[in-house]
Amino acid sequence: VMSKNKSSESVKVVVRCRPLNRKEESNGPAGSIVQMDLRLGQVILRNPRAPVSEPQKTFTFDAVYDANSKQGDLYDESVRPLIDSVLAGFNGTIFAYGQTGTGKTYTMQGAWMDPQKRGVIPNAFDHIFTHISRSQSDKQYLVRASYLEIYLEEVLDLLDPNHGNARPLELRESPESGVYVRDLTSCVCKSIKEIEEVMNVGNQARAVAATDMNEHSSRSHALFLITVECSQPGPDGRKHIRVGRLNLVDLAGSERQAKTGVQGERLKEAAKINLSLSALGNVISALADGRSGHVPYRDSKLTRLLQDSLGGNAKTVMVATLGPAPQHYDETLTTLRYANRAKNIQNQPRVNEDPKDALLREFQMEIARLRAQLHHRKWRTKQKKEQVDGEGWERDGDEETEGEEEDEEDEEEGVEKEAEEYVKQEQRLEREKQDIREDQFMLADEKQRLLGEKERMMGVLRKEQEATEQLTAKYKAMESKLLVGGKNIIDHTNEQQKMLEGKRHEIAEQTRSEREIQQQMLVRDEETVELRETFTSLQQEVEAKTKKLKKLYAKLQCIKAEIQDVNDEHVRSRQELEQTQNELTRELKFKYLIIENFIPPEEKNKIMNRLTFDPEEDQWKFQPLVPSIFTMFLKTKCCISGYE
Amino acid sequence: MASASSDEWRAVCDKFTNAQNLTVVESRNDPENDPFRSKYKARELLREIYCTLKSFEAGEGEEESGAESSEQRPTEPPVDGQREDGYGQGFSGDSPAGLRAAKLGAVEYYLGVNHVDTEELSAGQEHLMNCMKLLERCSVSSENVSLFIHVRNQLGILSAGWDETETAQGFLETAESIYQRYLKEDGSPPTDMTEYFTTEENMLTHQERTKRFELAYTHTMYYLAQVYKNLGETERAATYCHSTLQRQLQLNQFSPMEWALNAATLSQYYITKGLYMEGRHCLSAATVISDLAGEVPSEAAAQESETESERREQLRQKRAEIARCWIKYCLNVLQDSKKLLEDSIGELDTDRQEELKMARRREEEEEEKGRKSALLFGSEDTFDSIASLEEKVHCLLPLDFTEARAVFLVGQNYVTQAKEYFQMDGYVTDHIEILQDHSALFRALAFYEEDLERRCKMHKRRVDMLEPICSDLNAQYYLMIRRQMMFELAEIYNEMMDLKLTLANRQSDTESLDNHTINKFNHLCSASAKYFQMFLDSLCSPEGKIPEHLEEEVLRPALVARFRVARLYSRLISPSPSAQLENLDKSLEHYKYVVQYCEAHPEAAAAVETELELSTEMVGLLPLKMNLNILSSKCI
Repeated sequence: VMSKNKSSESVKVVVRCRPLNRKEESNGPAGSIVQMDLRLGQVILRNPRAPVSEPQKTFTFDAVYDANSKQGDLYDESVRPLIDSVLAGFNGTIFAYGQTGTGKTYTMQGAWMDPQKRGVIPNAFDHIFTHISRSQSDKQYLVRASYLEIYLEEVLDLLDPNHGNARPLELRESPESGVYVRDLTSCVCKSIKEIEEVMNVGNQARAVAATDMNEHSSRSHALFLITVECSQPGPDGRKHIRVGRLNLVDLAGSERQAKTGVQGERLKEAAKINLSLSALGNVISALADGRSGHVPYRDSKLTRLLQDSLGGNAKTVMVATLGPAPQHYDETLTTLRYANRAKNIQNQPRVNEDPKDALLREFQMEIARLRAQLHHRKWRTKQKKEQVDGEGWERDGDEETEGEEEDEEDEEEGVEKEAEEYVKQEQRLEREKQDIREDQFMLADEKQRLLGEKERMMGVLRKEQEATEQLTAKYKAMESKLLVGGKNIIDHTNEQQKMLEGKRHEIAEQTRSEREIQQQMLVRDEETVELRETFTSLQQEVEAKTKKLKKLYAKLQCIKAEIQDVNDEHVRSRQELEQTQNELTRELKFKYLIIENFIPPEEKNKIMNRLTFDPEEDQWKFQPLVPSIFTMFLKTKCCISGYE
Repeated sequence: MASASSDEWRAVCDKFTNAQNLTVVESRNDPENDPFRSKYKARELLREIYCTLKSFEAGEGEEESGAESSEQRPTEPPVDGQREDGYGQGFSGDSPAGLRAAKLGAVEYYLGVNHVDTEELSAGQEHLMNCMKLLERCSVSSENVSLFIHVRNQLGILSAGWDETETAQGFLETAESIYQRYLKEDGSPPTDMTEYFTTEENMLTHQERTKRFELAYTHTMYYLAQVYKNLGETERAATYCHSTLQRQLQLNQFSPMEWALNAATLSQYYITKGLYMEGRHCLSAATVISDLAGEVPSEAAAQESETESERREQLRQKRAEIARCWIKYCLNVLQDSKKLLEDSIGELDTDRQEELKMARRREEEEEEKGRKSALLFGSEDTFDSIASLEEKVHCLLPLDFTEARAVFLVGQNYVTQAKEYFQMDGYVTDHIEILQDHSALFRALAFYEEDLERRCKMHKRRVDMLEPICSDLNAQYYLMIRRQMMFELAEIYNEMMDLKLTLANRQSDTESLDNHTINKFNHLCSASAKYFQMFLDSLCSPEGKIPEHLEEEVLRPALVARFRVARLYSRLISPSPSAQLENLDKSLEHYKYVVQYCEAHPEAAAAVETELELSTEMVGLLPLKMNLNILSSKCI
């Protein structure tokens, strides 16, 4: 049950909470501060420092997963539909967001060896390749993977063999395909094993680059990009290509992204002072951030790379991870707020059909070209053979008529046959050479000439054979990169598995829609209470009104609590102010005492006359005995800053 | 140190040199798992120095146990900003007691910085405050002024890190006033703190002393800029950024490209505030200083070596960025003056023009005055080139075509420069932004052009630069940009159509237009309608459905586009009455859409008040007109 006719859909946000760990359990009886209502998709957060009477904060999401949730549940319900869309040619993105140590990596990667504990990424790999092997045989696929990380605003290729000293990559844009990373390594993967290998290589590169892994990973974003191209004959008979892109994003720890101060909303980074003068540019950019000016380097690399996923052409799932321990209350609240805001981002996903930059098309054309070359070569050798041989070979004719369709399968045989022929020809030439040598009637130099010629012919023959072999190898290499659907439909079990998956899918879909309906019901409930104005009986009215009253009362309590919060804050600041005032008064009295007792009245008057209040700097100042150039300078400066 | 034997003193000096070396040099090579090893070692040495100094003091204290020992000051922490800075109190900085306090204070300062570096902030603050207390007893002199400023810089940073922005402001502002006062009252090159612990033969030169002192103050200004920014006082923050840049230049402590880019960015702040003289000054300085970075390596050189290729890339990119800042300058100047000069229907208001020209003379004088008092960039050798670059473009708002054209040409020149680097292939968004600015430059210039024929040609230039690109872009990835461009193209064609009509009406006395003009008019009219329609289509779902609900950011553009399309259809001239009727029918349909949408979404009405009013009227009137047309065609 997808939402109505919309071309846009919002970012799906799911929240997952990890269990308390042993250390946290032993820390105290307080227990978890996070409560989850799986059916409603709600997270209820308790402030451990607040009195029990304070209402708890409730957030609603597309789905929530508590400490008992399984990796498979999350995948089937929240990720599977997204991967399906990627296979259908949409762009998809999965973000993991949360404080370091809340299980981002567990959710994304999990334990690879244990099928129950495999995370989103291995499950997605499995999903993609299983889908390909079960699809119809007229579909051709090309799967590519790239792996990069963004560390300190530099894009690094994790698949580059000399990752250690490689230069950071640059972001570029092309009119046809948008933002891309220039010179990013991209590996064609033919199986789960291969793509896992790619991931491992990248993970190792990441680990090597960072001596302190935890520190590093909490500061760097990792992006694993999978491109699935699929070609299929359309109703018009031409082959159409759909390209789905999947971004798997492990964001840096949320505590690094938005350090929150006491007030919760303000970014701490903003208050921090940059020490080095080289950061002057940041300060100036912050000042110049207006619409009518140009500010160099404003966007972050991550934002530019993922601009399609947040408010663009993509389906996006965000997995926010939480820690349930009381000491993480602030971080957890921030994560929830952030996730809550992400729900409102609207995307306009569209199928990428026949894009100009599809590699599959290029591959197909290259294969066709190689095949044509091979054919041409074969045909030429035959011609030559005829020349040399004088009499044609019987089989030639039908081989040519066999045509191109059969070639595809017969290619290998053909090549072997050809090799045989080469050997035969070579033998024949050898024989002829022998003949010439043995021919005693010929003149010596004539003999030499003929032998030379034969020698040359053999050389040519050998060269040609080599070229053909190379071509064949290239052709085979190219073709093996393409995956063809339907190769594995041999057994019955596949069908059953497919059905099973379908059912699982259905169940997941139903759970989701149930939750959606529940959420809607909750909203409706509120509305109906207000709307129902005609009551059949007085009793009903009372009932309804009581219900409404209760609801409103709860709301009132919420607001009261908020007011109380604000009041407390004010009281606190007032007390602080009072204290300061007292201190100041005391000091003032003290000073007066000194003045009265130690300073002769005439001196005092002199000083008083020289004192002036400088409103600019908010302090009293001595007027110099002679007006100095310094103060004049100050005045002119005031004029300038006031000029506008 | 008079009382200490020179051997003892030499040992102290060696320890200090060692500690400095550990802090600055060795610490870079510390292993990851023991990141502060050298710093801890340095801390130990500093502590030893502190003890030695104390023991010297005890020895001396017997001789002159006066003020110090009896001093039982209240130990409340000194807080800056409320108190008169360290002038005119305690013993003078160059007295033996003052020197002792300064040396002890310096050790406290280094200990404080050391603790801050090793992330022990509270301990660091305590040491720094101790330093403040020691200095409090002294008056400022050339021996200790450097320490006075350094310690306040450090405390300022520390407070800012704890969100105590006002406290930070207090420390830093006091540092500033101490600096200014010192320069005024003394001004001799002050002792650097490292010199407290060096033997005679290693004293710094006057030049080096000044350099270090000025650098400390540059940092004060830079920190103040950030503090003001965090306090939301952007104007002051900008002034301090400006001063920081100026000092970097004066003291020759900058990397040309980085400096130039910062100055260019600062110009954008001034421009948005309408301070064109300051903006121009920043930009001119940026251009001149960026030239100091040297020639761009040739393509051939770039292919040979990787460093050269990187340098080439960097230089080209940053110079292009500066050019883009210049474009914005020219554009804003033109647009601002246009706003000033246009009347209610967007045409040049000649009365206003005269008035402003009269006022101009006064302004020019003021400019001269302003220039003299403004904070100017430049070292001896760059000063003149900056000034001569400034002369190439006015910073006063242009008041007629000639003046506007001069600004336009400068802007266009920078457009060419910027496009050389930001090419379509690789920098789509940037390239298009530059084109859009170029188009906006033309648009602003057209406002001043009195000759309608030439004005029309300017608009044609805009079409020529935007049209081919709009069709080349991937509709998915560049949805927003394409929408902007479609809307702009539609408006340009509309504008051209109006101009052609005015021209034709002027030329012929009769009401009727000749065939050629009609064709031209219709062509422009349908081109405009076509682009509005393309814009509207881009809002539809993939299946081609019109959205029921328009997103907020496209609400007004979408309804305005509808309204304009309606208007365009009703203006198309066609010879056959049936075609005319068909156009009117289409027109009515679009007007109806606007009205119906606003009925269904009452919140939309506020966004398109005038358009809605007119549409409602037209929905009432058009059917009447259509009936009339039918009637008249029947009569014929």
